[in-house]
Amino acid sequence: MPRASTILLVVCILGFVFLYAPILSLIIFSFNESKLVTVWGGFSTKWYRALLEDPQILGSAWISLKVAVVTATLSVVLGTLAAYVLTRFGRFRGRALLTGMSTAPLVMPDVITGLSLLLLFVSMEQLIGWPAGRGMTTIIIAHVTFCMAYVAVVVQSRLADMDESLEEAAMDLGARPVRVFFDVTVPVIAPALVAGWLLAFTLSLDDLVVASFVTGPGASTLPMVIFSKVRLGVSPDINALATIIIAIVALGVFIASWQMRRAARHG
Amino acid sequence: MNETLTVAAAKPWATGSERPFVRIEKITKKFGDFYAVDDVSLDIWKGELFCLLGGSGCGKSTLLRMLAGFETPTSGRIEIDGQDMTGIPPYARPTNMMFQSYALFPHMTVEKNVAYGLHRDGMKGDEVRDRVADILRLVKLDAFARRKPHQLSGGQRQRVALARSLVKRPKLLLLDEPLGALDKKLREETQFELIKIQETLGVTFIVVTHDQEEAMTLSTRIGVMNAGVIVQVGEPSQVYEYPNSRFVADFVGTVNMFEGRVSEDEPDYISITSPEVGGEIYVGHGVSCVLNQQLWFAIRPEKLRVSRERPEKEHNVLPAVVEEVAYFGNLSVYRLRLDTGKLVQATKVNLSRSEEDAISWDERVWVTWGDTAGVVLTQ
Repeated sequence: MPRASTILLVVCILGFVFLYAPILSLIIFSFNESKLVTVWGGFSTKWYRALLEDPQILGSAWISLKVAVVTATLSVVLGTLAAYVLTRFGRFRGRALLTGMSTAPLVMPDVITGLSLLLLFVSMEQLIGWPAGRGMTTIIIAHVTFCMAYVAVVVQSRLADMDESLEEAAMDLGARPVRVFFDVTVPVIAPALVAGWLLAFTLSLDDLVVASFVTGPGASTLPMVIFSKVRLGVSPDINALATIIIAIVALGVFIASWQMRRAARHG
Repeated sequence: MNETLTVAAAKPWATGSERPFVRIEKITKKFGDFYAVDDVSLDIWKGELFCLLGGSGCGKSTLLRMLAGFETPTSGRIEIDGQDMTGIPPYARPTNMMFQSYALFPHMTVEKNVAYGLHRDGMKGDEVRDRVADILRLVKLDAFARRKPHQLSGGQRQRVALARSLVKRPKLLLLDEPLGALDKKLREETQFELIKIQETLGVTFIVVTHDQEEAMTLSTRIGVMNAGVIVQVGEPSQVYEYPNSRFVADFVGTVNMFEGRVSEDEPDYISITSPEVGGEIYVGHGVSCVLNQQLWFAIRPEKLRVSRERPEKEHNVLPAVVEEVAYFGNLSVYRLRLDTGKLVQATKVNLSRSEEDAISWDERVWVTWGDTAGVVLTQ
């Protein structure tokens, strides 16, 4: 009979294979010489070069990156404010409503979020003339609405763990509430802010459905371009693009977890 | 320093000659329907080291937090140094607080933690550096200025917290269970350091603690709290030797309590009939009471004497059996079973290093006490 540790090892390996085999094959085939996606024709980096010469991919990647950075930053600001109000202001009128509303986007299907925001933007344009047409601005607004909910959840748990007497001590030493927030609260919850930013960045970079609803001419994000390309058949340059995205995301996750570990050690 | 000592020696709380430094007037704090602090009035004088003593949930911390400004009283007012504190936020009060958790800023070095309050007052450069260096020397942490809080031991963190709360030279320092997290040895050392610092700087201290020994050692006066109310205020010896209620007698130190009724009430003595004693207790001083009134007789373990021979006395001699002897080094504690079944505790100082003929388990002994050694309590 095999030992318990052997069984654990096998289960562990199977789990990793299940999770990472598709990604691994994608990375390997991104270096495929052959134009056929499923046939290995030798090592080559030509699809990466092809990618760099494709203006459509480069343009949409640039748009996606801009959208993700702005979304992540705005989400961190708004999500932190929401989390702060929910954890620090005790019981106030409408607290339950705010809690529900701020976490609703987590469980809302993307299609509904996208559709409702599209309707909102259209009627706003008719009523007040802003946002004029749809494009990057509307994508950013739409992304912030659901990303800030994720940030709020991450920051809220960190705030709840934080020793409130730290804030009281700063106030006791003569700092006004706004000062206390920036001098003490923000540094203490900084790891959660970094993690929240990276989470929002990834979610925004990743989103296809919501962006498709609220975008307009000239503002196609990377997932939208990939999706439309794939519909015409998978080409090897998509593999190369996916590999680059995986590298960026892996780096982000690595930085986030390193930040969290560092904070836990110092906590 | 001398001024502080003379103030302490003059005992302004006894004479009432000076204006109190802190006046707490009819303070009540309700959380929902729960009275955390219930109509408390208290005067504290300059240079005092006042201890609020009580079990958990008695309202002592809430009272302290109201002094610091973190809680708003439901009714009543607080005055510090002649200034009404109503509506004044924590950052504008002449108080500083040392937190039970120490609340050191984890992302700042010791130096920066201590300097934080000075910077908030708009102080800059050399002045800040000098003040910080001075106070760190006082708490013997000058070698650790560049460390972060997580690189310090519990005792060192506690001293950083103390330094940080003292560096602004507050008129009133509030300490919430300041020595709670330290081990016994370190706690005793720090107690004396705390008293020394308090006398050196002449700051008024209000300390919250649940540890009655700590309150005894530290304070000029103790306020014993129970269920949101101050039960008794007095100097440590007053609270210990003249408790005004069963709660105080029981909470501060150990006590043997006998319930009984007044059987004789004369101007210079009274007699109490107590079924728990199995006879009469003779109290050698007058007590304001009426015949047959129910009351309690409380006596501390160190005031009981234990002997094999029956002492030559008429009153207050009881036969008993030794049930247990606990050796504490400096003293031994005897648990004695009276013939009525009541357990009493007596302590004996161990004067010599070895006693061949010490009273031991299961021996029949006599317990006795002086006619004025106990306290009669009516509530």
